[in-house]
Amino acid sequence: MAEQDAEIVFKKETVGKLLSGFFKEDKTKLSSDAALLMAEILKVFVQEAAMRSQKQAQSEDCDQVDIEHFEKILPQLLLDF
Amino acid sequence: MSVDQDETLQRLKAAVHFTVGRLCQKLGEDHGRGFSRQVIAAIAETTFRQCDVFAKDLEAFSRHAKRSTVNAEDVKLVARRSSALSIYIQNKSEELNQEQKKKNSGKRKSRDTEEESRE
Repeated sequence: MAEQDAEIVFKKETVGKLLSGFFKEDKTKLSSDAALLMAEILKVFVQEAAMRSQKQAQSEDCDQVDIEHFEKILPQLLLDF
Repeated sequence: MSVDQDETLQRLKAAVHFTVGRLCQKLGEDHGRGFSRQVIAAIAETTFRQCDVFAKDLEAFSRHAKRSTVNAEDVKLVARRSSALSIYIQNKSEELNQEQKKKNSGKRKSRDTEEESRE
């Protein structure tokens, strides 16, 4: 199934609007390359969060990744980024 | 104006949530351990809030360099805390530059051949 192999990404447009919305000054803009690179960083962030949560669930012998697992890895995740 | 801003915000949050869901689903399938909906929502919310932190940093870096446009150099700084991430982003940036160069040289080549065929 070719669809499953398609890479999951954050859309450049979404990332652009998201970051621009948080800028303090109206005159601050985001270059196209910067938006693409930030999309990569966000994807890595999500994958780290998910992978670490999953490892935590694994270490506790749980079948599903639940909120407690995410809560335990969250502090270190934020420090690492 | 604030109502529109709210709607845009909600739509952006939903877009983030959607992609986070897909990434988690794939990881869940690859490792045979699914993610609860609560976890996916929590990761999405955290990612959204982290964007605020990233955006403020990016803006500060570009302002420090006396620019009003955030560029790739600012993004590389944001990735500085993890050496693996830093290297990954530097490589991606290089890839983007290579693609840009190819596009530009491609335009020049086609222009040259056009002129040749006219002569």
